[in-house]
Formats: sequence, structure tokens, C-alpha cells
Amino acid sequence: MIAGLDLGLREKSAERILRIALFIVLGALPALWHGQYALGLLTLMAVYAVLLIGLDATVGYLGQVNLAQAALFGLGAYGTALAVQAGAPFYLALPAGILAALLPGASLALPALRLEGPQFALSTLSFATLSVIVLNESESITHGALGLSIVRPTLFTVVLDARGFYWLCLVLLFIAWWASGILLKSRFGLSVEALRDSPTATDALGIGTLRHKVLAFAWGSALAGLAGALHALNFGYLQPAAFGYDLMVMLLLGVVFGGRRSQWGAFAGAAVVAMLPNLLSNRILFSSLVGCGCALTLVPAIRALITRRVPSFRESAPLGAMVIALALAFFASNVEEWRKGIFALFLFAAVVGLPDGLAGAVAAAMHRFIRFTPDPLPQAAEGVMKSHTITSALPLRALKLSKSFGGVKAVDNVTLEIGQGETLGLIGPNGSGKTTFINLVSGLYAPDGGSVEIAGTRPVPGKLMAAFSAGAARTFQNLQPFSGLTALESIIVCQRDGGKPEAMGWLRAVGLEANARERCSDMSYGDLRFLEIARALSTRPRLLMLDEPAAGMSKPDIARLVDLVASIKRMGLPVLLIEHHQDVVAELCDRVAVMDGGRLIALGTSEQIRRDPKVIEAYLGADDEEAEVRDQKEAHAC
Amino acid sequence: MDAQYLALAQMAVGGGLMGMAYALVAYGFQLTYAAGKAVNFGQGELVMLGAFAGISLAGAGLPYWLSVLGAMAAGAALGWLVERVAVRLALKQRNEGWILLTIIVGLFALSSVENIWGRDDRPYPAPWPTGAIDFFGISVTWPELAIAAGALGIMTLVELAKRYTMVGIAVQAVSADPDAAELCGIRSRSAITLSWAVSGVAAAFAGTVIGPVTTVGPTMAAALTLKAFSVAVVAGLDSGFGLVIAGIALGAAENLSGYVLGSGWREAPGLILLILALSLRPQGVFGKKIIRKV
Repeated sequence: MIAGLDLGLREKSAERILRIALFIVLGALPALWHGQYALGLLTLMAVYAVLLIGLDATVGYLGQVNLAQAALFGLGAYGTALAVQAGAPFYLALPAGILAALLPGASLALPALRLEGPQFALSTLSFATLSVIVLNESESITHGALGLSIVRPTLFTVVLDARGFYWLCLVLLFIAWWASGILLKSRFGLSVEALRDSPTATDALGIGTLRHKVLAFAWGSALAGLAGALHALNFGYLQPAAFGYDLMVMLLLGVVFGGRRSQWGAFAGAAVVAMLPNLLSNRILFSSLVGCGCALTLVPAIRALITRRVPSFRESAPLGAMVIALALAFFASNVEEWRKGIFALFLFAAVVGLPDGLAGAVAAAMHRFIRFTPDPLPQAAEGVMKSHTITSALPLRALKLSKSFGGVKAVDNVTLEIGQGETLGLIGPNGSGKTTFINLVSGLYAPDGGSVEIAGTRPVPGKLMAAFSAGAARTFQNLQPFSGLTALESIIVCQRDGGKPEAMGWLRAVGLEANARERCSDMSYGDLRFLEIARALSTRPRLLMLDEPAAGMSKPDIARLVDLVASIKRMGLPVLLIEHHQDVVAELCDRVAVMDGGRLIALGTSEQIRRDPKVIEAYLGADDEEAEVRDQKEAHAC
Repeated sequence: MDAQYLALAQMAVGGGLMGMAYALVAYGFQLTYAAGKAVNFGQGELVMLGAFAGISLAGAGLPYWLSVLGAMAAGAALGWLVERVAVRLALKQRNEGWILLTIIVGLFALSSVENIWGRDDRPYPAPWPTGAIDFFGISVTWPELAIAAGALGIMTLVELAKRYTMVGIAVQAVSADPDAAELCGIRSRSAITLSWAVSGVAAAFAGTVIGPVTTVGPTMAAALTLKAFSVAVVAGLDSGFGLVIAGIALGAAENLSGYVLGSGWREAPGLILLILALSLRPQGVFGKKIIRKV
């Protein structure tokens, strides 16, 4: 392994230097490289880059396949064109385009809010198709398929020539790039990423799904509108068909090809999408490009063969795609006719071979050769665990809670209270309804009957956010980490108040100070469990619910956990603890509640519980038939 | 006034019959979704490829029935191919890369079709009588009936096979829980591959029955994917025969709005209904409610 070159640079600064250099080169290009045609291409690339940076907000950061961006681009273009027709000056034409895309985009986000994955993709696809229909059919306004022509207005008194307009596009691209970078690296951006990784956890920790989804979508739409406005002013002629399915597919694939979650990636994708037709028209250039692709994709396949393995799909499939492209380069009579097919082949190779896109691959290569100075970590704040405000109301009062799934009564008429500063253990065999009880209290499920009162307020049943606002925070039995964030970032998105020092303080409190920069996807199982507790604590809850925190933990980790919960107890924070490790429960809990078959069968101190015949029966079984029947029921419930 | 209603009814019936074809393509979505929680965003391209394969086979002198069988075989092979190159890796990594990869494979298919068969629409030769049958003043053509019969026939056959053959039951086991099925000695991967092949067969067959009614051309693919996917999602991706109802409703709504609002607006009401239906019932009108587990 080559030792990395240490320039004493932070990655952020290096990125900034490169970005400024890129824009200087782009700005200087028209001076070196004359010709209207090349200038037109560069302008198109800048416009597409704005569009793709917007698309990346939903596809990359929000993690949802958004098929509406081409249509929003079209709406923006038409908005500007119509404004110009109505006599609007330049400085009003741009906002008109932005609004024309932003308003429908934001209103689409509202119904699409509850959707994910294929359903979200479909709703955006429907919206896109609908927009093109409306543009086509409102002939009295848009002239339909005939198209709409406009003359570019003057910018104040300056008549912009092609070069001036290109520079204007560059300036706007720079602003869009910079603003996106700031926005998506801010707490807002972190929240959007957290939402992508676990919508359940973001709701349960009060980060919220609704506004972040809408805002991310709105930001993407606004950039689409800006790009559309520039497009309209650039070409001066619009047709609805240009904003259809074909463009949409190209844009989506451009983002993925360039690299998601990166403005550089969006820029690289835009360059490819804009330049592609020209790469194909020059046969020699195209053939050499395919040749390079073949050579690059050969490397992993050969590397596999050298180590005497059959190359995996990931190593061989990109090569296959490139070989087909090579065949086309030699045998197809007109390569341009195969434009979409060749694009598809390159994309296939990139998506399979480079999951992080061009930008991701380049960044990884840079990391191999250059050692960057890491960003300094803030000093951990002292005493985060000391300041818990105690209210007079009872932390938790659950009254006659019931919940059934089909015929199974998962929770059956359970009444339970937690007193001030009390740690209550909730135990019971698997499938006895403990997690369902927490799910009811935390608002993941709405109860069939009964009520929940948290710290004196009654949250709307079945709403995670409502239960959180009332003061309940929880961890999850099946971990819900924000995989794309680092440990420190996971805390920052959850905090209600306080800055990075407090976030570091929480990490130190659970013993993860050294892991602050580590990504959750790289952290160990036990560490993630501690991180979940830190996340919940950092929201400063009035009631903390821990769902089997010690499950799967090693012995030393369990000892750490016991210390941690003991110190939470010393804060005066009430805790509801589900746990199978009886020694942990006995050591920590003031009282213990036992559930079996959805019912609360015993409540008392750990000593009392241990001698309770019903509890012994629940754990060890009894001879009577009733118990057997119940066991079978539980087996079904699992 | 009466003639007005009759014309509307005529439109609704014609559209409903076409909607059966959407339901058939949507059924292909349902099959692959059940097996591996993934669908082919290039399913429309499969329909198109099936239709073109049928046309070429018929053009080579094969009788109609054999050309349909040939198209179905091609569909099975293509379905398998899509699963192999675009879906398997993403399923193994448990991410949603399949959305992009199936779009990419569809794009390549589209480009190939444009270059092999050309960009023009072609008629699909079929041996149906040219006349129409009259039901109480509503006329129905033979190719339209063939769509309905074919769609229902294929769906019934596959559903029966799923319920009453060992292989079908194994596929159902995999769709319930792939890991548990593996522990019982079922090869999950084979079951998923089989589902994709059957889905390809359904798509290609749909191409051969839609062809005689409309025409066959590269532009049919994208629209079909959207319509069939709408049907599948509105009905619910796990709803069984609910999608026949959704398909008929979408087809009828399309034809009626085309008639009432003008042909350019054909698809608009269906799309608005689709967005509304999705926002009100994300799991589909006939789908089961999703319970979040943590």
C-alpha cells in the first residue's frame, strides 16, 4: 500500500480549492475555445448541472426515486417563457420560472409524503406525465405541440450575447452548488439523510418526516425551475415533448452515473448527459472511449482471475456491457442511432461497477493517495447528564391499554404507571407483548382501547411525533441506525438544543467519544445500541424507554450498560426498561412488571416477582392445559 | 340522449376490455413483487419485445398460435435475463438499486428495438374475424375479446399453478419468507427466477394480444409501464384479482375522458385518480394494511 501524501489539508478545503479552480477553468473556456457550438454545449451543461443538483436532493439525500424532475424543468421553462411573453423583464423572468416549478413541486410532495420506494416513484411519474399532457393540451396558452418562441429580454440595459449568458449560467450554477452544499450539510440536510435511513426513528425522536420531505422536494423543484428558466432563455423555443420520459430517464441516470449525494457527482452527470450526443458523432472519439471503458472494467475481472476466483457478477457484468458497446462501435452502421442503448450500457457498467458513481470513485482514489487532516472535533461539554428538569406530573400513566393483531391480543388491558425518577423493568417471555406495549406508548401503534398519558399530557394516539412531543423517547429492539451519518451527526440531528460540544458530551456519556467520526454503517452492533441510547437522551426526554438494550451484547458491554442506566437513574430520569437479562433488571429496577400473553400478571419489587407463582409458571410452564393452549397461541403470535 | 349514453357505454366497454391488458401486465408486476419485493420498471419494453418477436415469427411464416408461443418463450427468457442482470445483485444487497437497473435494461431494450425493427408502428397480423359482435347495441371486436379472454386465461392458469402444484406452493413459501423457505430446502433464488420468467411470459403474451388492437411500436413501452404499474399499485401489489377491477376501471376511465374531454386528455383523469388513491391508501385499494414492525 502506498503511504498517503500528507498535504496538511482538510478535505473540505481541498474540495473548495478544486471547486473554485473548476469554475475558473469553466469561465475561461470560451476565451480559449471559440465557436458558438462549443459555447452552446457548455451552457447546456451548466443548465443541466443546476437541474441535477436539484434532482440529487431527492434521489441522493432523500433516497427516493424522483421521476418528476424533467417535468418540473419543463414547467419552469414554460413559466419563464410565458412571463417573458407577457413582457416581464429578465430579473422577473427567472423567479417566474422558479415559482412555476416550485408550487406544483411542493404540492406534489404533500400527497407523495406517505409514500416510499415504488409508490413514490410512481406518483412522481404520474405527475410528470400529467404535466406534459397539460402543457400539450393548453394550446391557447402554450401553443401545444407547435411550440412556444420567445426573445431573450435584456438584463437591465445589457443585451446578453451567448458568452454573457453562459457566464450568467455559471454564476447561478456556482450559487446553486454552494447553497446546496450548505443546506444539505446543515442540520436540515442531516435530518433528510436520517429520514432516508430510518423514517421510524426520525419520527420517534421528533426529527419529523413531513417538513423535511417537503422541503427537500421543494428545494429540488426550485432548482429545476431555475434550470428551466435558464433553458427557456437560452434556447428561446420550447416544446412539451422535450420534457417527457426520455429526458427524465437521462437525468436520473446522469445523477447516478455521476454519483449520488454529491454536487460534484451531479456536475459530472450533467457533463455526460450534455456531451453524450457529441461523443457519439465522432467515431474515433467514441471508439477510444469504449476502449478505455473496456480496459477499466477488465481490471477487476483480471484481479479476480489472478487470485484464482471466478469473477463475481459485480466484477464481470460491467465488462460484459463494455464488450457489447465495443461490438456496437465496430459493427453498428450508425452509432448515433444507438445513443440510448450505448448510454444504457455505460450506465449499467457504472451502476454495477461503481456504486458511488464517478465522483465517489474519484474521491475514493484521492483518499488513497492523499492523507487529509480530519476536521477538529469539538470539546465534549461537561455535565450533560446532570441537568434533568423534573416535572410534577407522573411520567407515564397507561390506562387499560389493549391492542390486537387479527385474533391475537398482543396487549390486553394493561394498566401501568411509572413514578418520578423510577426505573421500571418490563419482563416476560418472548411474544408476551412487551415491545407492543412500548410501541403503543411511543405512538407507533394506536391502541384499540385505553389511554396513554405522558408527563401529564395525552398525546394523539398512534402518532410517534405526538408521543415524542409529550416527552417520550425510545430505543429500538431491532436497531434503527442512521446508517449514512456519523455517530456525532446522529446525535446532532436528534438534539433539541445545544451544539456540537453537548453532542460530544452525550457521546462521552455512553462511552463513544472515540467513535465520533465513525459512520453508523461501520459501527459494531453493541456500539450502535449505546448510540441509540445517546440519541434518545440527547432529545432531553421526560421518559426514556429502552427496548432490550442488552440484547446481543457482550459481557463487558452489559456491564457498561448497567453503569450507564444507573447514571441515567441518578439524573432522575424515569426509565421503562424491557430486558431479558434478569440480573440487569434486578440490579437496576425499582419495580418490575411481568407480562405474559398480553396481560400484566405481576408487578412488584424484583424480590417479590421472583417468588410470584404466576411468574414462575409463565417462565417455566405449568402442567395444566390452559398454559399449553396459551403457549400455542404465543407461538402463533411470534 | 339515448344515443349519447350508448356511445358512452360503448367507450367504457372498449376501454374496459383494453384495461384487461393493463391488468395482465400489472399481474406480471405482482408476481415479481411477491417473490422478491421488486418490479420491472422496463416491463413495457418486455411487452413491446414480445409483440415484435411475435410479428417477426409470424412474418417468417409461422402460424399465429406458434408465433404467440414463440413470443411467450422469448418473454420467459427476457424475464429471466432482467432478473439476472438487474435485480439479483440489488436483492442480495437489500437495496433499491433494481429500480434504476431495470430502467437501464429497459432503455437498452428500447434502443435495440428502434434499431432492429425500426421506429415506425406496425400492425400485428391476427386470424380474428374482422366483424364486430353486437351486445345490446354495444359492439365488441374479436381482438378486444381476445385480450379479455387471454388475460383472464393466463392469470387463472398461473393462479391455479401457484395453488395446486408443488412448485407454485414453493414460490408462495418464498414470497412469505425467503429465509424460512431456504431452511425448508426450497431454493429461494430459483423461485424468484421462476417468478420473473413467468412475469416475462405474461408481458410477452400481453404484447401479442394488444398488438392486433393497437399497433406495435417503440412508443408503446413507456405508456404501458406507467398504466400497468398504476393498476398494480392502485389495486395493491399483493391484491390478487383486485387488479382486474382496477385495470377495467382505468381502461374505461381513459376512454371516457378521451371521448368527453378530447383525445389529448385521455390519460389525465386516471393519473389524478392515481395520485389521490396513492395518497389516501398507499397500500392500494385492495391491498392489506402494512404494519410497521420494530
